[in-house]
Formats: sequence, C-alpha cells, structure tokens
Amino acid sequence: MLEFIYQSGWGAFTVLLLFQIPFLLVFLTIVFRKAYVNSEPSGITDADVGKWRGRWLTLVVALFLIINLASIKFIPAVYTARAAAGDVAAIDVTVEAQSWSYDMSAYEFEVGKPVRFNAKSLDTVHGFAVYHPDGDVLFTMMLVPGVSESSLIYTFTEPGTYKVRCLEYCGMAHHDMSDEITVTEASS
Amino acid sequence: MSIANSIVSSVPVFGRMFKVESEPELNDINFWPAAMIMASFLWLSVAVLLGIALPLTQMLGLDASLFYTAITAHGAAMAFPYVFQLMMGVGLHRAGGCVGKPVTGWLPAAAFWLMNIGGILFTIAILMGLKISYAVMYPLPVVGVATGQWSMASVIIGFTGIAGILITVILLYPVQVIKMLFFDKEREELVLNRRKLSDPGMLGMAMAAFVLLIMGSPLLIVASAVLLFLYGIVPFAWIAWAADPMVFQFVFYIFAHNLMEAMAIMVVSAVYATLPLYLADGTRKLYSDKMANLALWILLLTSVTSFFHHFFTMFPALPSALSYHGNIMSYGTGIGAAITIFTVTMTIVKHGLRPEAGVMAVLMGFTLYILDGVSAIITSNIAWSFQLHGTMWQAGHTMAVLIAMSMMWMGVLLHHYPVITGRVLDAASGKWFVILFTVGAMGVNWSFLAAGAAGMPRRFASWDQEGWMVYGYLILLFGLCLALSLLIFLINVSKARRIDTGMAASPAE
Repeated sequence: MLEFIYQSGWGAFTVLLLFQIPFLLVFLTIVFRKAYVNSEPSGITDADVGKWRGRWLTLVVALFLIINLASIKFIPAVYTARAAAGDVAAIDVTVEAQSWSYDMSAYEFEVGKPVRFNAKSLDTVHGFAVYHPDGDVLFTMMLVPGVSESSLIYTFTEPGTYKVRCLEYCGMAHHDMSDEITVTEASS
Repeated sequence: MSIANSIVSSVPVFGRMFKVESEPELNDINFWPAAMIMASFLWLSVAVLLGIALPLTQMLGLDASLFYTAITAHGAAMAFPYVFQLMMGVGLHRAGGCVGKPVTGWLPAAAFWLMNIGGILFTIAILMGLKISYAVMYPLPVVGVATGQWSMASVIIGFTGIAGILITVILLYPVQVIKMLFFDKEREELVLNRRKLSDPGMLGMAMAAFVLLIMGSPLLIVASAVLLFLYGIVPFAWIAWAADPMVFQFVFYIFAHNLMEAMAIMVVSAVYATLPLYLADGTRKLYSDKMANLALWILLLTSVTSFFHHFFTMFPALPSALSYHGNIMSYGTGIGAAITIFTVTMTIVKHGLRPEAGVMAVLMGFTLYILDGVSAIITSNIAWSFQLHGTMWQAGHTMAVLIAMSMMWMGVLLHHYPVITGRVLDAASGKWFVILFTVGAMGVNWSFLAAGAAGMPRRFASWDQEGWMVYGYLILLFGLCLALSLLIFLINVSKARRIDTGMAASPAE
C-alpha cells in the first residue's frame, strides 16, 4: 500500500484527490448554501468557532505529519544510505548526459542487486529518469552542469526493459533524449 | 490627457474595454492601472491562442520546433505580461484607493513600458528561434548557440527583454508600492476605501512588495552581469561567477519561487479585502482580522525558504538537510493556507454572501488556488518529488497557480471595473464567465496532474508515446472551455454600459 502511494505517480494522484475532493465538497456546499439557499447570518457563537478552528488545524497538522513521516523510508537519501550499509555491494554506474543522449558505463543489471547511479551533465541541465516497463517513473535525477554528480542507489525488483528519459527541457531534440536499460533475473 | 489614457484610447477593441470614463478626480489612480490591465488582456489573448496551439501541434503531428516555440511564448506571456501585469494594474489601483495616493509619475510609466517592451523583445527572440521555455533553463541559452539551435543575436535580444521584465517585477513595481504605502502625500479625493497597513486587505500588498524586492535582487545582479558580457561591455572573466549554472539556477528559483508566493500573498490579501464587501448582512468585516494576518505572516515566513523543493532531485548536490528544510517549509505554507481556508469559510458561514460575479470569481479562484496548493505540497514531499519532478504534474501546478491567481484578480477587477472605467458590466455574462472558467480550469488542471502521474514529461514535443495523447485531448477540451469563458469576459467588458448619474459606482462601495 505505502509502496503504491509513495513510489508511483498514481499513488500521489490518489492522495491528491483524497485531499481535494472533501475540500471541494465542503467549501462549495457552504458557499452555495450561504449564497443561494439561506444567506442569513448564522447563530454560531465565538466559542463554537474556536472549537471548529482547533479541530480543523489539528486535523491539518496531523495529516501533514502522517503523510510526511510515512514517506521517510521512500526518500532516496534514506534508501540509498540503507542500501549502502547493506550486505550486498552496490554496482557503480556512471552516467554522462549530453544533448541529446546518455553515455552509461553499464546497461544491464540484475534483479535484487543494488545499483548506484552516479550521473552528471556535460553541457546543459538534463534529467535522468528511469521508467518501469509499465510506464511508472521509478525515480528522476536533475543533472546541473558544474555540479559534481547526482547520485542514488536503486535496486530493481522486476526483470524487463526500462526506459530512460530526460525530464528537464534541454533544447530542440529534448523529446528524443532517451535510452534503455535491461534488467534480468538474478543469476543465482 | 495623460499618456496612459492616450495609449488606452488609441488601441483598437481592447482600448474600448478599459477606457477611463469615470469621475475625473480619480484619474490619478485610474489611468496607468487601466493601461496595464488593458495590456495584460492583450497578452492573455495571445497566450490563449498559443495555449490552444500546443496540443494541436501534437495532434496534427507538426514539427517539434513549433511546439517549443509555442510553449516558450505561451509560458512567457502568461507569467509576466499577463498575470503579473494584471496584478500590477489592479493592485496599484487598489493601493491608490486604499491610501489615497496617486499612481502617477515616471515609476508606473516605466513599469508599463519596460514590462511590455520587454515582453515584445522576448517574443521577437522566440520567433528568431530562441526556445528556452519561460524558466530560461540556464545555461541552455548559450549551449543552444554553441550547438547551432539558435543565434547569439536571439539570445541578446531575448535577455534584453527578460531584463526589462525583471526590472519591472523586482524594482519598479515594488518601489512604487512602497512609495505609495510609506512616503507619498495623501490626497483625500483619491481615498475610496481607507485601509491601514495592519488591515489584512493591505498587509499582503506590502509583504509582496518587499519579498519581490529582496528575493529578486540577487537575480537582477546576476542577470545584469551576464547581460553586460553579452553586450560586449565586460570580458567573460569578470562575470564568470554569475555564469556558473548553479549560481544562476539558485538565484533564478529564489526569485521565481518567491515571485509566485508574493503574488499569492498579495491575492490572498485582495480576497480578504473583497470578500467582506459582499457579505449578506452588511458587516464588511472578516470573522477575524488576527487570523487573517496570522495566515499572511505564516505564508510569508515559510514560503521564503521553501524554494529548496525545486532542487530535491539533485541529491546529494543539494544537502539532505536543505531538502528536509524545503519539505517542512512547504508544508508550513499549507498551514498558512489552512488558516486562510478557515477564515474565508467562517466569514461566509457567519455573515452570508451576496452572490455577485466579482466575489464569486474571487471565491472560485480561491478554490482553484487551494486545489493547486494540494498538488504543490504533494510534489514538495521529497519522496514524491522523485516520481513527479519534471513531469506534467509540475507544469499543471505552474499553470494552475497562474490561472487561479488570474481568476482571483479578474474577480477583484470585476469589483473595481466600474470605479476605474465608469461603466457597469452585465451580471448574467459574469455568471457564465465564472462557471465556464471554473470548469475549464479544474478540468485542465486534473488533466495535467493525471498526465504527470502517468509519467508524461513536461515541455516534451512527443505526446504520442505511451498513450499520453489522451491527456492532450482532455487538455484541449478543457482549454477550449477556458478560452470560451475568457471570450465571454472580454465581450462583457466591451459591452459595458456607462454609469447613469446617481448610480453607485460599484454595488459594494
């Protein structure tokens, strides 16, 4: 469940709707009723207003805390540190991005083996986004020239052909800046 | 006749919409704002056509360069010459009427000319081939020259235009507001609705001016240095510090992020000012000025350093501590927004509402602004940012915040229009504008966000991959709905009737 929420765009979209729809329903209902149905002043007391204000702000703070605390294990800095400290050594891969292609030191990886992507740009700002074969973005990295490297460790869990795309606009052939990597079953 | 009024009078079609025919003693707070508002709607018309052209270039399989030309010109026109200029025009009129100070002299004139000439120069550069998106993407402009994508002449013209826009946004407009709020002499005949600085309807205007001036200055310095080199005035060695991509990226986003936040603070303040004028029981007060001001202060303090969320995916080049800080501050802005929601909602609950087009546009714009705020805080969470950064999600966020602010300002404009022009608008047309704009804006926004969730890259001239074109059709459909609503708005404005003697200038005044 948490994996779906924090590791896919559709998880983010689901949470978006869970926040937006209740707000829309409540706010628009109040505006409609107070504008078109009964615009008389309500008899709500200051004490009641204080209570509702306390409840509302407590709810908002609690929701913000929950969604951020639950996301910690999915932060790349966190899972990269965990993978680096694990038993299986990460495979280092260098990625050099230049308009409009990638030069990678390896293109084939195995399921379950951590891969450390060390990526940099040689000219302008580029992105290095890896897509799951089903179309989900697994992660994206922003590569700013002059910065040493952007880096994270990712462990593939399924075999297949993964698309790589640039997600930072980089000129006239930006949409053609892509590549593929292959993930195979673990050898043993 | 003032130069500003001559400009408005001489422009076909749009000039008639915003020509000042109100009481002559108010001319000093009406002429330049009317010129700015008129020019902003000219730019909007161009931006809407370009916005519709974007999905069409993809559906018709046209050349990618057309898409990148349209997206650069559309973004540039929307963000600055349209939304910012509209805000500048309505905001300066509001400020003048609240403190009784004139909007005259060289400052508003320079702001008008530099914004519009800057916008025209940037557009010429785009037509010459400069396709850098409205975010500039430095060092792309110079890399593009090195790789033969466009000429150095287009970069020089484009950067000159951008400089004009930046001088307006970062220097001229904030200085004009600060001058009016703190220095100029009050003229009793200009006071329409007196407000103090502690009034929530005024506080945001002052905050926004200082944010723009302070947070924009580093970019102005860096951009000026680069421009001096481009003009051949100084050698590269003198400006190498400014040409570093990291330096430019950081000063750009410190400005661009805070520009959006400043505009949001200012428009929330305008909501606080406008809503009480339409309360059913005639109270003319928010349920709590203290809560309203608290929300503005929280928005101000948290938004200033939340810009780090633009750089989460540079890890580890952006230290984790700064990422965590950006994440937390971004959610802090959510607390400010939550207090604002409560203040607006409780004011309506307590006092009822008179549903006129102006206030309904303000409230629907506010609704869009909150919906967009949700998409903003989601992508400001570090974990989600690594799935969403660079996708259509973020394009949707940028577009939605501009559209939401635009609608709130158009609502405020509907309120001020009779005072500025001396003419009244048709209520039924105003209602249809609000309905169609709301439906179009929500539809476009959800289409963008769904496209981002599906992994569709932003600023990407190949929508036919992975089945993404379906989002293109939805964007076009709801975009046409938005365009229709704007057409209704402009027709309504062009058919406005002169106020009869004795008729109230505005129903709420």
